[in-house]
Amino acid sequence: MAGPALSRSPQDESLYIIRGLTKVYGEGPTAVHALRGIDLELPRSAMVVLLGASGSGKSTFLNIVGGLDEATDGEVFFEGQELTAFGPAELTEYRRNSVSFVFQFYNLVASLTARENVSLITEIADDPMTPEEALALVGLEKRIDHFPSQLSGGEQQRVAIARAIAKRPKVMFCDEPTGALDSQTGVIVLDALDQVNRELGTTTLLITHNVVIADMADRLLRFADGELVEDRDNPHRVAPSELRW
Amino acid sequence: MVRLPAWLGALDRKLLRDIWRLRSQAFAIALVIAAGIGMVVMSFGMIRSLEATRDAYYDRYRFADIFASARRFSESLVNDVQSLDGVSIAEGRLTSNGTLDIPGIAEPITTRIHSLPRVGGMPRVNALVLRSGRLPNPVRPDEVLASEKFADAARIGLGDTIEVLLYGKKQRLRVVGTALSPEYVYAIGPGQIFPDNRRFGVLWMGEEHLAAALNSSNAYNEVLIRLEHGAVAPEVVRRVDNLLERYGGRGAAPRSDQISDRFLENELSQLGQMTAILPPIFLGVAAFLINMVLSRLVESEREIIGLLTAFGYRNRAIMWHYAKLALVLSLPGLVLGLILGSWMGRGLAGLYQEFFVFPFLTYRAGSDVFLISCLITITVVLIGAAQTVRRIGRLKAAEAMRPPVPPNYSGGIARLIGKIRKLDEPTRIILRGLVRRPLRSMLGSFGVAAALGLYVASAGSMDNVGMMTDLLFHQANRADISVSFAEPRDERVLFELERLPGVMRVEPVCYIAATLSAGHRSRSESLTGMKRDSDLNRLVDIDDGLVQPPVKGLMLSTILAKQLAVAPGDRVEVNITEGRRPHLTLPVRSILKSPVGNPAYVDFASLGPLMRETPLASGAYLSVDPDQADALYRKLKAMPIIAGFSQRAAALNGIDETVGETMGIVTLFNTAFSALIVFGVVYNNARISLAERARDLVSLRVLGYQRSEVSYILLGELALIVIASLPLGALFGYYLSQYLASSMSGDLFVMPFALSTATIAFAILLVLMTAAVSSLFVSSRLNRLDLVSVLKTRE
Ligand SMILES: Nc1ncnc2c1ncn2[C@@H]1O[C@H](COP(=O)(O)OP(=O)(O)OP(=O)(O)O)[C@@H](O)[C@H]1O
Ligand SMILES: [Mg+2]
Repeated sequence: MAGPALSRSPQDESLYIIRGLTKVYGEGPTAVHALRGIDLELPRSAMVVLLGASGSGKSTFLNIVGGLDEATDGEVFFEGQELTAFGPAELTEYRRNSVSFVFQFYNLVASLTARENVSLITEIADDPMTPEEALALVGLEKRIDHFPSQLSGGEQQRVAIARAIAKRPKVMFCDEPTGALDSQTGVIVLDALDQVNRELGTTTLLITHNVVIADMADRLLRFADGELVEDRDNPHRVAPSELRW
Repeated sequence: MVRLPAWLGALDRKLLRDIWRLRSQAFAIALVIAAGIGMVVMSFGMIRSLEATRDAYYDRYRFADIFASARRFSESLVNDVQSLDGVSIAEGRLTSNGTLDIPGIAEPITTRIHSLPRVGGMPRVNALVLRSGRLPNPVRPDEVLASEKFADAARIGLGDTIEVLLYGKKQRLRVVGTALSPEYVYAIGPGQIFPDNRRFGVLWMGEEHLAAALNSSNAYNEVLIRLEHGAVAPEVVRRVDNLLERYGGRGAAPRSDQISDRFLENELSQLGQMTAILPPIFLGVAAFLINMVLSRLVESEREIIGLLTAFGYRNRAIMWHYAKLALVLSLPGLVLGLILGSWMGRGLAGLYQEFFVFPFLTYRAGSDVFLISCLITITVVLIGAAQTVRRIGRLKAAEAMRPPVPPNYSGGIARLIGKIRKLDEPTRIILRGLVRRPLRSMLGSFGVAAALGLYVASAGSMDNVGMMTDLLFHQANRADISVSFAEPRDERVLFELERLPGVMRVEPVCYIAATLSAGHRSRSESLTGMKRDSDLNRLVDIDDGLVQPPVKGLMLSTILAKQLAVAPGDRVEVNITEGRRPHLTLPVRSILKSPVGNPAYVDFASLGPLMRETPLASGAYLSVDPDQADALYRKLKAMPIIAGFSQRAAALNGIDETVGETMGIVTLFNTAFSALIVFGVVYNNARISLAERARDLVSLRVLGYQRSEVSYILLGELALIVIASLPLGALFGYYLSQYLASSMSGDLFVMPFALSTATIAFAILLVLMTAAVSSLFVSSRLNRLDLVSVLKTRE
């Protein structure tokens, strides 16, 4: 996949190289231009926060980079390989081995316990943690055998994070992980993400509507109407526990 | 919740818990599958067992390949037959009909008597299975064997003496043993279609003694032939016919024309037909239910599917997960079906032994029948799951993760519903719900219709048999008693009969053995001479009712006409094989759709000129004053001329007992099965609407609607589905019943189609009742719904 020119390129360090990424839903007059040519490079182990108004294209971006959706145009390179040229089977391998997701509504399987929800993922991973380790990382070692219906929203979201980190992914994609949570619980969840990013060096892309959360990131990306309108580094990254909203 | 073993993967845990959650629906599916598979196992196994038993029996007891009879021939002719190419064994014997007088039974009993060979006493062809006692001692003229079922039914014990009127002479015979013969697997008296063991029996006695009784020493009237492997039966038949021609040969016939074998063969083919028709309907409904449950489940698990995709589960793995769920869902049905089928098979084997007498009949399905059942189940499940599973394959992760689009109620009809002013809101909800998923509503109706049709068809076969009995015993044969004569007599015998006590009316009947042929096709049948305007024995056409015998020429039964490939206007060669044996060519005047048998009719009055002798009667129909019946029987028992006897009331009784009982059991099964299907379909429909509507319904409750009002919404939709299914199901049942009737009709009888409105009405009642019961189940669930928890769940 990797073009030889690219592997010799100076930006070799970057985990992702994104060029002219475009996404159009539908055709003709009703077509929606969700992404209008995004150019971007993302380094390893960064904590990146994505901001932007509703409908600005954040989720679309995340889904394409996460290998859930296909781009209309442009290229995404992951570790030098062209993701946008992957077939369905390669995309599946990519999602299986390299990346993880955390969603706004947790998406736990209701008929599985916390531990089983994590095993669902560790069972198909190459070098996973045990579900117990993963749940301990998010502070849920005591709730291992509870079903989702027996957990609070924040606890459910932490199970979702445990599930995401258990396979030791290179990248975590979090689409509004605190969107459905109050601020205190939100902080606990963000703390878990922050810890994983620091300790395991997991590159994290985090979508939020909450500008305050940007302070815990190394870098901030702002979307507006399918374009990247702001891209800045945050030299003064703070711990989630210091965030207030 | 049940503890699951540690080695079980997370997805499999989910699967088991899902099934536990869906258990009541799974149960309904299991029952429907069980019914279908049960039927497959039962009938396949039964066919298999019957065939294996028959083949072993025929082989071990050397059932004849060819039967030939003539008036009288000598032993040397048997040797001639023996030396024909392809003949392995030829054995001569004497056969005669007679009547039996048994203490405790008022009426005379028709019996057939065969001779046992002089040497060894055991026939080499059609060997007997000795069931009790011993073979008759050759030096004792009075010793006989009796057929086992008859001895049982008539309460004849070993050592008992019976009186037989044989060839005009009363003989006192002693029963020394009971036996079975491959010739009498299905043992029916002359002119009957159902076995009546009390009124028809077979006896075997030493050849010399029977010959003496029949005044026929050193002669035979039948020759039985076993063929060598690879012999060409029709060729041998032709040569035997040639040999017997001079001795009054009545035409040799291959085994496939032998009456018992024909009935057995007919039964097997009917069983095969049933298996081809009914189980597919059950399994079709099962597939439909699986489709319904699975597509609903997948719908509600879109996000889980998206999640699994997002985390790198391969499409195949996810599809397999749901296919596996469907398979596991059907597993209990399969197991239940196998058990049920074996159990019903054993029961059926028991029933069969009422009709078909084998020395042994064990129902054994065999592992391949089980294997086939498993394969069938898997196929059915996969068909049911296919559409849904394919949809999973097409589901895009990014789309699945998005919350589902709110259902679209803006279609044309839905808007129309909005315009109808008079409707109250709950009714509007019902109608829109139906319109929104027209396919599912339709399929639901189809499912119920299938069940209704199935019931109509199976209960309808009772109607058909009822009609058959009515045609035979009320319309065609209206004589209280029919007798057959030891040999043809002229009309004077009728006066003799008329003078007997209690006889009110006598009508003659005439059977003449003949071979009918057209082109290269030929059949040995009897020509029946019918009196015009007769009152006791009439010609009845299934479609046209009463008809008169043809003025000149032949009236053929539908089956015979088909066998000879002739139509009205064609000419048929008729070689009479008795009397002066004239060779005639007669035109086919008309075709009679006759319920039973294969007759060819001619006008009694035309017989004289045709036969070139005064017409003779081979039997008579009598109407009798019931008060004097016993006196009449006493006289008849003593009349040498009477060789056969049958009583309408007894025959009717026999049919009621055996056939009625059997059909009753079968109908009971089918009723239960149909109820299961209705329940399965209605209940599943209701549960799924409940799951889809729970939030809406609970919201209504929160807004102050009463339980009954909310139930109305849920059940109203069901009621409409069920009501829509009624005309459809009745129609389907009508055609299915018609199809079953025609598939029951073989070359032995034509089953009339006589579905009654009462049957349809009862079927509808059954469906409505089952639907009501399943509604009760669902609405009690609705009432138990916890308002808060339903509102909290996101869906
Ligand atoms: N499947 C789709 N078909 C058509 N348009 C779509 C589809 N998915 C997204 N869009 C459109 O693409 C645009 C970007 O959507 P996206 O979900 O990426 O926004 P977002 O920034 O994540 O918004 P939010 O903050 O509300 O989640 C929106 O205008 C949306 O309506
Ligand atoms: Mg979004």
